[in-house]
Amino acid sequence: MEHSNKTEVFRQGMIIFIFLAVLTALEFFVAVAVGAVVLLAIIAVVKVALVMYYYMHIYKLNTKDEQLDRHSYEYKLNTRRLGLWLFLLSDTFVFGGLFVSRFNLLGLTRPDLNQLLGLTVTSVLLLSSFFMNRAEASMEHGDRKGFIIGIVATLILGVGFLAGVLGVEWPNAIRAGVTPSASAAGAIFFMMTGMHAFHVLTGVIFLSIVLRNGSRGIYSPEKHWGVEAAAIYWHFVDVVWIFFYPALYLIGKLI
Amino acid sequence: MKKFLTSALVRGLLWQAIGWLLGALFVTGIRFLMGMNPFDQFFFTEPAWVFGALVGAISFVAGTGAMSDWFKWAKGEETPEHREDPPGWEKYLNVSLDHKVIGIQYTVTALILMCIGGVFAMIFRTELAHSGLQILTLQEYNTFMSLHGIVMIVGILVGVAGVMNYLVPMMIGADDMSFPRLNAFSFWVVPPAAILLLSTLALGGFDTGWTGYPPLSARAPVGMQMFFMGVAVAGWSSILGGLNLIATVLRMRTKGMTAFRMPIFIWAAIATSIITLTATQLIGLAFQMVMFQRLLGMGFFDPAKGGNPILFQHLFWFYSHPAVYVFVLPGLGLISELMPVFVRKPLFGYRFVAMSSLGIALVGFLVWAHHMFTSGMNEYLRVPFMYSTLLVAVPTGVKFFSWVATLWKGKVETPTPMLFVVGGIVVFLLGGLSGPPNATVATDLHLHDTYWIVGHFHDTMFGGYVFPFFAAIYYWFPKATGKRMNETLGKIHFWLMTPAFLTLTLLMMRVGLLGMRRRVADYDPALGFDNYHLIMTIAGYLIAISIAIFLYNLYMSLKHGETATGNVWNSRSPEWQVPSPMPVHNYDIPFEVVGEPYDYGLPGSVYVRFADGGQSTKH
Ligand SMILES: [Cu+2]
Repeated sequence: MEHSNKTEVFRQGMIIFIFLAVLTALEFFVAVAVGAVVLLAIIAVVKVALVMYYYMHIYKLNTKDEQLDRHSYEYKLNTRRLGLWLFLLSDTFVFGGLFVSRFNLLGLTRPDLNQLLGLTVTSVLLLSSFFMNRAEASMEHGDRKGFIIGIVATLILGVGFLAGVLGVEWPNAIRAGVTPSASAAGAIFFMMTGMHAFHVLTGVIFLSIVLRNGSRGIYSPEKHWGVEAAAIYWHFVDVVWIFFYPALYLIGKLI
Repeated sequence: MKKFLTSALVRGLLWQAIGWLLGALFVTGIRFLMGMNPFDQFFFTEPAWVFGALVGAISFVAGTGAMSDWFKWAKGEETPEHREDPPGWEKYLNVSLDHKVIGIQYTVTALILMCIGGVFAMIFRTELAHSGLQILTLQEYNTFMSLHGIVMIVGILVGVAGVMNYLVPMMIGADDMSFPRLNAFSFWVVPPAAILLLSTLALGGFDTGWTGYPPLSARAPVGMQMFFMGVAVAGWSSILGGLNLIATVLRMRTKGMTAFRMPIFIWAAIATSIITLTATQLIGLAFQMVMFQRLLGMGFFDPAKGGNPILFQHLFWFYSHPAVYVFVLPGLGLISELMPVFVRKPLFGYRFVAMSSLGIALVGFLVWAHHMFTSGMNEYLRVPFMYSTLLVAVPTGVKFFSWVATLWKGKVETPTPMLFVVGGIVVFLLGGLSGPPNATVATDLHLHDTYWIVGHFHDTMFGGYVFPFFAAIYYWFPKATGKRMNETLGKIHFWLMTPAFLTLTLLMMRVGLLGMRRRVADYDPALGFDNYHLIMTIAGYLIAISIAIFLYNLYMSLKHGETATGNVWNSRSPEWQVPSPMPVHNYDIPFEVVGEPYDYGLPGSVYVRFADGGQSTKH
């Protein structure tokens, strides 16, 4: 296995996070200054590719384990990983359907939302992915304290994201006249953010379970599928937001 | 009796009722506190019914215990990998992790659903026997017609899941599916979904047909919501079943079973599962959006609010066209699987047949808007969708070519399963040939929403899945039970059903060409269709009688059938090389694939070799 040392892994996670942060800032700047949709799309795809490769470790799907015993932990682990990715593929079609619906209904226009808030919650979610990655890496190297700190930070940021979207953004939007029932624009905004928030919420529950089990010492550096699954799921929710954020906040002219 | 009353099924039903009631009361209470009217036409208000239905469906699954291992895992407890089932019939009413038990649970559920759907058809077919309204009101007619559609569709989906669940692990030499608990969960969401669909009858029905287009579905009675939720819940069975199946085939194949040495049915199952895993989410999404439009006034499909009803049709058909292939690909796979056994010749063009299943599935993702030529969508979309649809005929034609070439100069035996295979091919051919006229824009503008379409898709559904499904039941019944089904009754079933069905659908196409609209309760006697409709109704009754004979045969063969524990059909497939009924964990001695699967009649050819030296019977 490529069990390089912990600091090495931590440093890689940090570098990827810096790349993602810079790209997000660039995205915001492009939207404000140029408004080029194609450029925004390219940035989003680059961000997603970084997350999927370095945080979600999609390359692990490429297994060469035919000679392993079918009942061994490692063979089953690879099967579970495949199952989770298939589930995410399926889920992608829900979000993809919402994404397409948004462009079908609104075209290149967008509802008037609080830009600062949008950028803030996006940053919060991105930062949570950074901590999630750190928690998983800690677990891989047997650092239970680092694991707990990472998960707790992820959880706090996740709940912060939910509070930002459901507690601040939704009331704000309703006050500004973007309500679920006023127009198709309001409807699709609430449907997209609502569906995403539902996934964040399930992720928070998942992480809480992993935190509880992890602090009781159920996971080991060799066997911690629960942690890995929670991490992959959490990063997936971030990936969805990488597309939803520009679709809702950045692309198109104000209605 | 006590075993029945304490079974997971009964517990689930009880929990569903309780959950439904509590959920509805909860919303009603909140409405009361908020000063909104707490009650409505059907006692509870629509939000109360919907929330209750959701809580009820979840309660059902939780009540059966299908999720209890997951709860234990969440608590950090470990559970044993396998769970032993009780020996008797009660394992079929309880949560089992054995793919064979689950396969039979699915299959029996499918037969029950198809019978219910068939009864609905008999009811409104009786109404149609004469012009004028005799026994039904318009709303009742619409509800029975719509329910017939959706109950049959769910029934076939469940039937597909049943056959795939039962056969796939056996054929690839696995002891079970990759995720046995997920497999059980996928089955146990089906009964509450079926209850939801049937509950529409008590809640005002719904008059949209199974397509549920807004704006009509946005103002139909509360029953509409139960329809949407029932389909969405059943959809999860399909999605998770597909996930499980793909993982199983990719990860659990026995040694030596390379991609092109898999049984052809496995290819079909994979193609089907790719569709159910992905596209199903879009019908769920579309239905959720209408549900929210009705509950919260969200105007996705309401032009007055800037919404777009055509968007619904795109989302809906993005699933519902490929769904057709979810039904027929496994059916056609079964035909290709069984034919070489009864012709004693290799399957012609194995690789092409294998790839044609994937080809149909993938092209099937690009054709959905052929249902929308008359909907008012952008006109420039029509021609590309016309050509992509016509393209489906190419891989389908490959399959037909293979069947004909396999039959050519074969020593054809015709026991009941083979009769249904051949009948399926004939009926599916009619369904296939009546397809391109609907795919062609110019003719579709005339044929859209006529009985021609009704005849067309009944031929594809019956030929594509129902005939092969019967073939599969007659064929693998000995494997599951160790007994044979009665041949005479089987032949009567076939020779009664097939001519009656052909008469029915051909007449449907005829009146459709002459201008009979579909989904109507009445028609003008001056059109001169009364006699046609009378014949169709009689044909419908004959089909019902043939199904009754089939059910009687099932029951009698189960009780008194001739014992058959060996390789009844002289097949090369691994599951027939071990005694019937199948042992609990399938193969006590593992086997290895050493040859081609369908080399029937080639001297010295071997498909599988067991570790103890036994090998598939020589040919
Ligand atoms: Cu279609």
